[in-house]
Amino acid sequence: MQSWRRKSLWLALSASWLLILLRVFPVLRLKEPARRQAGSPQGWPHWLDTELLQSFSQPGELLEDGLQPPQAPRGGSCTQGACFDASRCRGGGLKVFVYPAVGPISETPRKVLTSIEGSRYHTASATEACLLILVLGPDTPAGECHPVPPQWDGGKNHLVLSLHPAPCLRIFQLGQAMVAEASPTVDTFRPGFDVALPLLPEAHPLRGGALGQLRQHSPLPGVALIAVAEERGGWRTAGTNFSACPWDGRCEQDHGPKQTHPGAMLPNATFCLIPGRSPDALHFLQALQAGCIPVLLSPRWELPFSEVIDWTKAAVVADERLPLQVLAALQEMPLTRVLALRQQAQFLWDAYFSSMEKVIHTTLEIIQDRISGASAHPSLLWNSPPGALLALSTFSTSPSDFPFYHLQQGSRPLGRFSALIWVGAPDQPPLKLIQAVAGAQHCAQILVLWSSKKPPPPRWPETAVPLTVLDGHRKASDRFLPYSAISTDAILSLDAHSSLSTSEVDFAFTVWQSFPERMVGFLTWSHFWDEAQGGWGYTGERANEFSMVLTSAAFYHRYYHTLFTHSLPKALRTLADESPRCVDVLMNFLVAAVTKLPPIKVPYGPWHQEARPPPLAPGSPRLRAEPQPAAQNCINRMAAGFGHMSLVSSRLRLDPVLFKDPVSVLRKKYRSLEKP
Amino acid sequence: MCASVKYNIRGPALIPRMKTKHRIYYITLFSIVLLGLIATGMFQFWPHSIESSGDWSVEKRSVRDVPVVRLPADSPVPERGDLSCRMHTCFDVYRCGFNPKNKIKVYIYPLKKYVGEAGVPVSSTISREYNELLTAISDSDYYTDDITRACLFVPSIDLLNQNSLRVKETAQALAQLSRWDRGTNHLLFNMLPGGPPDYNTALDVPRDRALLAGGGFSTWTYRQGYDVSIPVYSPLSAEVDLPEKGPGPRRYFLLSSQVALHPESREDLAALQARHGEAVLVLDKCSNLSEGVPAARKRCHQQQAFDYPQVLQEATFCMVLRGARLGQAVLSDVLRAGCVPVIIADSYVLPFSEVLDWKRASVVVPEEKMSDVYSILQSIPRRQIEEMQRQARWFWEAYFQSIKAIALATLQIINDRIYPYAAISYEDWNDPPAVKWSSVSNPLFLPLIPPQSQGFTAIVLTYDRVESLFRVITEVSKVPSLSKLLVVWNNQNKNPPEDSLWPKIRVPLKVVRTAENKLSNRFFPYDEIETEAVLAIDDDIIMLTSDELQFGYEVWREFPDRLVGYPGRLHLWDHEMNKWKYESEWTNEVSMVLTGAAFYHKYFNYLYTYKMPGDIKNWVDAHMNCEDIAMNFLVANVTGKAVIKVTPRKKFKCPECTAIDGLSLDQTHMVERSECINKFASVFGTMPLKVVEHRADPVLYKDDFPEKLKSFPNIGSL
Repeated sequence: MQSWRRKSLWLALSASWLLILLRVFPVLRLKEPARRQAGSPQGWPHWLDTELLQSFSQPGELLEDGLQPPQAPRGGSCTQGACFDASRCRGGGLKVFVYPAVGPISETPRKVLTSIEGSRYHTASATEACLLILVLGPDTPAGECHPVPPQWDGGKNHLVLSLHPAPCLRIFQLGQAMVAEASPTVDTFRPGFDVALPLLPEAHPLRGGALGQLRQHSPLPGVALIAVAEERGGWRTAGTNFSACPWDGRCEQDHGPKQTHPGAMLPNATFCLIPGRSPDALHFLQALQAGCIPVLLSPRWELPFSEVIDWTKAAVVADERLPLQVLAALQEMPLTRVLALRQQAQFLWDAYFSSMEKVIHTTLEIIQDRISGASAHPSLLWNSPPGALLALSTFSTSPSDFPFYHLQQGSRPLGRFSALIWVGAPDQPPLKLIQAVAGAQHCAQILVLWSSKKPPPPRWPETAVPLTVLDGHRKASDRFLPYSAISTDAILSLDAHSSLSTSEVDFAFTVWQSFPERMVGFLTWSHFWDEAQGGWGYTGERANEFSMVLTSAAFYHRYYHTLFTHSLPKALRTLADESPRCVDVLMNFLVAAVTKLPPIKVPYGPWHQEARPPPLAPGSPRLRAEPQPAAQNCINRMAAGFGHMSLVSSRLRLDPVLFKDPVSVLRKKYRSLEKP
Repeated sequence: MCASVKYNIRGPALIPRMKTKHRIYYITLFSIVLLGLIATGMFQFWPHSIESSGDWSVEKRSVRDVPVVRLPADSPVPERGDLSCRMHTCFDVYRCGFNPKNKIKVYIYPLKKYVGEAGVPVSSTISREYNELLTAISDSDYYTDDITRACLFVPSIDLLNQNSLRVKETAQALAQLSRWDRGTNHLLFNMLPGGPPDYNTALDVPRDRALLAGGGFSTWTYRQGYDVSIPVYSPLSAEVDLPEKGPGPRRYFLLSSQVALHPESREDLAALQARHGEAVLVLDKCSNLSEGVPAARKRCHQQQAFDYPQVLQEATFCMVLRGARLGQAVLSDVLRAGCVPVIIADSYVLPFSEVLDWKRASVVVPEEKMSDVYSILQSIPRRQIEEMQRQARWFWEAYFQSIKAIALATLQIINDRIYPYAAISYEDWNDPPAVKWSSVSNPLFLPLIPPQSQGFTAIVLTYDRVESLFRVITEVSKVPSLSKLLVVWNNQNKNPPEDSLWPKIRVPLKVVRTAENKLSNRFFPYDEIETEAVLAIDDDIIMLTSDELQFGYEVWREFPDRLVGYPGRLHLWDHEMNKWKYESEWTNEVSMVLTGAAFYHKYFNYLYTYKMPGDIKNWVDAHMNCEDIAMNFLVANVTGKAVIKVTPRKKFKCPECTAIDGLSLDQTHMVERSECINKFASVFGTMPLKVVEHRADPVLYKDDFPEKLKSFPNIGSL
């Protein structure tokens, strides 16, 4: 009995020990991390009385605060609303008057004046204008700054434009005038009112301009990572094995391969480091032109056109105080971002900076955008190819209406087209053509542009799609007017003489849907450099390559009608009217200048040529006529008007997948493309 | 029992018999020892638990118990704000330093209660919203509790409403913060600045170099690129449940819901309403509200009462006029209702205007144009209005709807300034999720035709078919634009042939040995690739002619962002099986090209190796199949464009090597390839492939034209 008790006592004792050990040791183990937890982030405490806290504003307070009188804007500074009277722009939109130069002026202001006069906003009458521009030259002596123009009116609705740091600007009584100045300092710049211009070199071309240097999307292997802008205007490329600040003179001897470019040569590197002082702004444009990603170190100047251009997509603005961090970030930047920055820098150069004309027109476009409010260019139009100068907001403010932004918008062009048939001088109604086109699967409507002296026939054939007759004015450029009757994105432009089969139209339209920004045509011309004449020439002879498609049978986006009518200089359109052969060249020039790509050729049955009537009366359009020697002049005048040869050659034709393959005809969807 | 009794009587020999009182004594002793041990154990570990529960109780403190700090009357006051401050002059970036995650570190000062010399509190300790704001920061990735590692400091002094604080004393409280240092790297939040009578547009508390996240900045007080303009939070955001209403025309064209407007503004509104009648609705305070209905939730027009903010959903455009302050909480309500705000407040810096594109969500009208506002709005096309309505609602959801959203957007803006190379893009800030999902940003968007002179690099993947490989090398080397040939030797058990045995060709030939026999080795971005154009070619493709390859390269130059290949393939939707099917029949359409011979940009090698979504890359290596389909998916997905099939070529198998066990092998092959398409489509979450009906041929292909004058006369056959 006793021993049983004792045994049970021992048992109880050891059991208690076990219990204690078991309970204590886990606690011991838990205690260690628990102690460390005390050092980990504690965060903002969760108050017991969170629910009882008062709101920052008393219930009535947000409602009552308006009983005070509205403030008048404080003086001394201007905004678009306060200092610009937009009501003067009502009606005709922006009208720009520029004060003519007094006495002899130097090259740059002359280019500025020419550019403004060439703008579609220009007016010759100061009373009609709602924006008056005063151009300041770099060489106006400080004493002669005060010929205040007659309409000055305290500077209201005035823009003082200075492409060079002008001594006048500082002492000029600016009043309420806007200032468009090259590289303005951040402190004096009034966002939303002033316009920041780029600092241009002396010999900046008037139009067309120096082409971008980028020839390929990704940097070549072995090209220096970084080029550094030097004070004398050159660039120094630094190897990739730098250990410290490559722009700092002190560590210059540390890194191996480097070369100094004489003069203002363009940098050849992936990134271009540009110090933040104002004179270095000149380097900025060089970097853009070279397709070298600008890395701006704490710039003290406002980036050009910063109001509309999203520079974060094309440049890196870094802090000059953190050189090592900047270098590390550049070295580790993912390839995808490098590619995007590089292409964007180049695109911006081509779209807004490469010529004086582009710089001036961009300035006016920014002011026009301010005036037009809700119908201004959306940011996408400014910041993706082809740029806001070529994407007119008068056409639409919705990006998916344009041919350029379908990818970004996740949209696609309308799946139908309008056929626009131009009937010239003594022509008969093109009944056969109408039937062929009306039978096409995606044809939405047929528009006949009647430009003949004869009145149009009262009756037209019955077609499956609506047919409308428009009255033309017998001018060649009429066919590219933005007719409101055109209800589809795609236009099939035709001549009365054109001969097309339904399946050719069907196939060409499916191709166009893949390339809505390009022209898709059947007949082609090619341009060439004529050594003997020392100029450009073009030919309709069959060749291995082509650069133009004839608008007598071509698909293109309806936007090009708007662009043709509203953006081309008057001189070029007059030229096209005088020599109708030029119309095709002009349209091809325009589309190529926008897309920078060649047009697309699709197959065209050789039997059409035989069926076509022989030579046409001069002046009337033709399908495959040899361009006449007189017309050769036109391509050279176009090249001069655009500033450069924008046509691009292609060596391919897009055929149906089974085109002329030795497989069963039954397999082929477009079998009648091969035989009539 | 009997035995036990007996045992009991005899007892064990070792232990002496005990008396009852001894037994009790022993039991007591044991119990005491036991208790003692337990007590010792408890005692030893108790203090820690006390400590931890002490922490726990700190977490659950009351706001009223926070330490009190008495500010001497003569304690320093910071300078007034410096209007010329910019990030590179007034902000100390060294504190942010290098940070692999590109995230700033934000420290929050502990909450204290500041009282003046007389013991009068400087302000209400903390408001509900400011507490929420600090909680949001503390829960975010930006937060650090280590003051020495912080780059940005947020005082816990509540400055949201200037009316609820004493300006000078609050400034003194700021100045005595432990890291104040003239306010460098300090971020202050304020939503209601100024006070009667002049209502400054920025917080009046002197703050020296501190950054101000303020609601209601005007252009004169806002330091571009330094301060952050934030919304005035509307308490209704949390109080009221307002389901989303889709865009489209609404009952009223223009509505004004603000109650406390200056009489002048009210006159203008009345004139507008008189001119345009039913389309314009001007609301005001209700004069005869029954008890218990909060005034903030009702608006009246004459005798008719409307629920606020629900009434905002009945209008297409809603006025946001300046009151005494520029920033109005009504903006938040308006955006939430999907009503397009018409902002009539000259010089107002809109919330987050540094990153948000307000043109897409609002109409800003100068004050002097107020009478024309109706015609200005009428001129906006309907589609654009609907776009703005959607955008307005999205802005509210993303940046206005909670204090947390406001706080995080503010920190993100500052973070982007400090780490610009990792900044969020315009599209990320502004595009609603639906647009982000459907839009494609082509990585090679610039229209460029690379120069022909650069040529291309041919990459031949081989295992051990040396003879065939050499024939391919010889054939490919005849192509004029070839600039380099790279052989990827995928056999680890066998060495490549000696140098002397390789064919002698006119361009450099490099052999790369791989570590593992994987299909993805073909798409690795080797440093040896010096051209942009890459020709991937199998070691048994000997049938392609030199003209055919040269033409393929020319086509690639015109379409450098696409896959340019020879035999085309198609994906089809199988309606019976309800899944994708691979098709190699001779169809009128193509959506893929085989990479047995295809030109593409070398950037796609980088994408294939490093950015392939999901487990596709490993899956392909494991199955030793479908690397070409994966490449087709990848390129189509990232560019949104179709492939280009070149020339009539339909298959690669040469006529003399007809399959021995053809049909059955073919069928399993087709099944596997179909599986690949289904697998990839599910990983990509969409079907990126694009179907087209065209292929590229030379301009004069099969035209009636002398063959010898054609650039590419020998273009091959099927």
